[in-house]
Amino acid sequence: MADVAAVLSVSGLSLKPGATPFDLSIRRGEIVGLAGLDGHGQDAFIETLAGLRAPVTGEVRAPLSGHAITSFRRAVASGIAYLPRDRRATGIFPSMSILDNFAIATVGRDRRLGLISRAERRKRYDYYRERLAIVAPDPSHPITTLSGGNQQKVLLARALAHKPDVLLLNDPTRGVDIATRRVLYAVFRELAQEGMALVVLSTEIEEALVLCDRILVFREQELAAPLEGDARSSERIIATMFGRAA
Amino acid sequence: MLRLGSDQSRVLGALLVAVLLHLAGTALIEGYSSAFSMRAMLVLASLLAIASIGQTLVVIIGGIDLSIPFVIGFANVVTAQLYGGGMDFWLVCGIVLALAAAIGGLNGLISSGLGLHPLIVTLGIGTIVQGSVLLWTGGFPSGSAPASVTEFVSIGGSVGPVPVPWLVPCFVALAAIVTVALARTPYGRRLFALGSNPRAAPLALINPVAMWTATFAISAVFAAVTGILLLGFTGSAYGEVGQPYLFQTIAAVVIGGTALVGGRGSYLGTVAGALVLTEINTLLIGLGLQPSLVQAVLGIVIVVLVSFYGRDAHVRTTI
Amino acid sequence: MTAAVTTSRAEGGRLPALKALWRQTGFAPLLFVILLVINIAINPARFAPGAWGTLIGLAAPLIGAAIASAPAILGGRGGIDISVGPIMGFVNAIVVLVLVQKLGLTSPFVVVGSAILIGAAVGALNGFLATILRIQPIVATLGTYLLLVGTTLTILPAPTGTVPVWLKALGGPLSILPLGAVFLAWFLIRRLPYYDHLMAVGSDDRAAYTAGIPVTLVRFLSYVITGVFAGVAGLMMTALIGSADPAIGPTYTLIAISAVALGGVSLAGGRGGLVGAAIGAIDIFLLQSALTFFNFSTFVLQIAYGAILVIAIVLTALQDRWLGRAREGR
Repeated sequence: MADVAAVLSVSGLSLKPGATPFDLSIRRGEIVGLAGLDGHGQDAFIETLAGLRAPVTGEVRAPLSGHAITSFRRAVASGIAYLPRDRRATGIFPSMSILDNFAIATVGRDRRLGLISRAERRKRYDYYRERLAIVAPDPSHPITTLSGGNQQKVLLARALAHKPDVLLLNDPTRGVDIATRRVLYAVFRELAQEGMALVVLSTEIEEALVLCDRILVFREQELAAPLEGDARSSERIIATMFGRAA
Repeated sequence: MLRLGSDQSRVLGALLVAVLLHLAGTALIEGYSSAFSMRAMLVLASLLAIASIGQTLVVIIGGIDLSIPFVIGFANVVTAQLYGGGMDFWLVCGIVLALAAAIGGLNGLISSGLGLHPLIVTLGIGTIVQGSVLLWTGGFPSGSAPASVTEFVSIGGSVGPVPVPWLVPCFVALAAIVTVALARTPYGRRLFALGSNPRAAPLALINPVAMWTATFAISAVFAAVTGILLLGFTGSAYGEVGQPYLFQTIAAVVIGGTALVGGRGSYLGTVAGALVLTEINTLLIGLGLQPSLVQAVLGIVIVVLVSFYGRDAHVRTTI
Repeated sequence: MTAAVTTSRAEGGRLPALKALWRQTGFAPLLFVILLVINIAINPARFAPGAWGTLIGLAAPLIGAAIASAPAILGGRGGIDISVGPIMGFVNAIVVLVLVQKLGLTSPFVVVGSAILIGAAVGALNGFLATILRIQPIVATLGTYLLLVGTTLTILPAPTGTVPVWLKALGGPLSILPLGAVFLAWFLIRRLPYYDHLMAVGSDDRAAYTAGIPVTLVRFLSYVITGVFAGVAGLMMTALIGSADPAIGPTYTLIAISAVALGGVSLAGGRGGLVGAAIGAIDIFLLQSALTFFNFSTFVLQIAYGAILVIAIVLTALQDRWLGRAREGR
């Protein structure tokens, strides 16, 4: 699989001892969906891609930088950004402002002469506020004053501020209202068109069908089937999730 | 008070209390606002505020540092011993501050690296430090500070025409630096983030172990600075000189509105807290209370002040 | 109960109860056995059965203080009572100075009753501040700490007074009685649903609250229990020193919290128990006893005490890690 457009390649990966290893490569500009019954490995897979979990066998590599992804820090340095699932537990910093929550992971970039430049930070934030249509009257207010959807957009902005080649989204529309979902879908497609690769773990089959070019269905910690093109139907996905041959 | 709950209003609240206490003192006690008494209070408050820099940072990150009094005593005694033994003063300072940084760093490293409660780690390390110093000096430290340090902190000192010792303007500059560092440096922002949500911090590229190690090291360094300044202030070395600072640094921090659960607070609040504590002490002693009664009243005052603006959320609001 | 631990240990490590104790208390029991052997070897006279009364009397105040510190800590969310030492000092001052010296009341019922009442009242005050006013516990009990130390020093500026004969006996031949009473009380509390509630609140207060447990009440009572036990510990201390001394009580606070941590009680709440706390305290006592025998200076004693505390909690943390990893690997 010598794929010139690959931005992330997985080889011989297994998520539990004894599971059949699989190879995979994720290309520029595609949106890959991850599906499966809760706890069947899609979660472990996206965390492995993010360097948050060590693979049982095999490795994940970012061909652009040539590095194996062995830690979260390494993943970010190799152009991978990750949006965690539980906004409240592992996403927001509740006592901090919207601006702080946006800038914290890339805080070094706003530094001028050792101090954080407020103008620079505000400029970066405003770019993403417009792009993601974040509704926040005053970005110096605490993040907890925002609705769940807008908090999620701020977290997405935090991830995008890394300017990644690959964006890993762990259930990005969880607890988000319909209007915001539409905005997010549009943004995801736009990002893919600009050449970013997106990996979306989704708990809703409809969402995966609408959004993704390719859907990887997981079952019992193994990659059960990669469904592409016309093979992506909700019947096929459900059948694969439950382990029935369709 | 204005908008209760916001950081600024807590700082203003604490400052207001300090001013009210001062007015009460001026009304009740003759000479309370005299130049000498004002200078004495400024010096004492500055010393307490410097010792509390570390406690503020450590509390913001979600920890607590009980080793501060031991490190103060350590710096106080070791500086006197080494300088008294004929070593160059600046070299002595370098050695003492480096050792303090190592002690503090060890506190932070053990606490965060192994997930142990900093209360117990700093207490254990502090006890070892104090025991080692006592063992080295046999319990009877000797030596003193150079005259320049005594001059620097002396209540009678003056900066040109201004009748305060150099300690006070230097402290004001230091307070400004700490405040700016908290608000405008990556370190400061990461400190608040880590205290606010420790689980989210690693995903925002914050290294908890490195942050805790650095922050506890900074805390110990400022405790050591206080120890050296106290050597100049009292004139002779005394291993227990830091003991009052154990609870006073915590009290200054919480009166200033920094929450012990982490993620919230400001150094200006701590400075206000140090002023409040100094005013209360001076006022009560001025009123003729025994030191023991002063302590009792101080306990009540801390609880009353904190109950105004330092209350935790009910568990039902955290679900 | 000390004897029970040693014999079951000698029978081998396969007993599930022993495994549970090991998991709960970490290295404290191991340290206990080692220190006990060393102590008996170097100073058999002091540890002979005939001297047990005096020995237990010597160790009792620290054990009592450690046990007293545990309930508030078990309640979790930063729960801690640093006023345990000052409560002991305050009880000491009131009993000797007011009850015995001023009022001439020496009846055990009055004295023991007052000690328990004082402890309960201070505990209720702490509970009110920490759980109903919701001031962070360490700050709330710091307030009580300063208040009690200040008051004690005001009514009792210098050591003075004597204690009735029966109280003196509780520090010597009958020293097992107050300690036994505290353990019996805790044993009874463990049978109550309250104990399960306390541990549930300590390990996850949100879940406990959603499950309908009255979180605030449970925590409030944990401070009252801590206060009552501290009051009894104050009596143990009074029995030992045989007079009123304002300086001794407060020194117990930090050493008691160390003992609790050494005994495997998590300062985050919900894990550990009073037996662990007691073993932690006995460890510290045995350590002091051995080092004093070798005529080391108090300075060395202090270093050793700090070092053992740090090493023991570090080892316990590492052991937890290994256990956790082994469980994950399975």
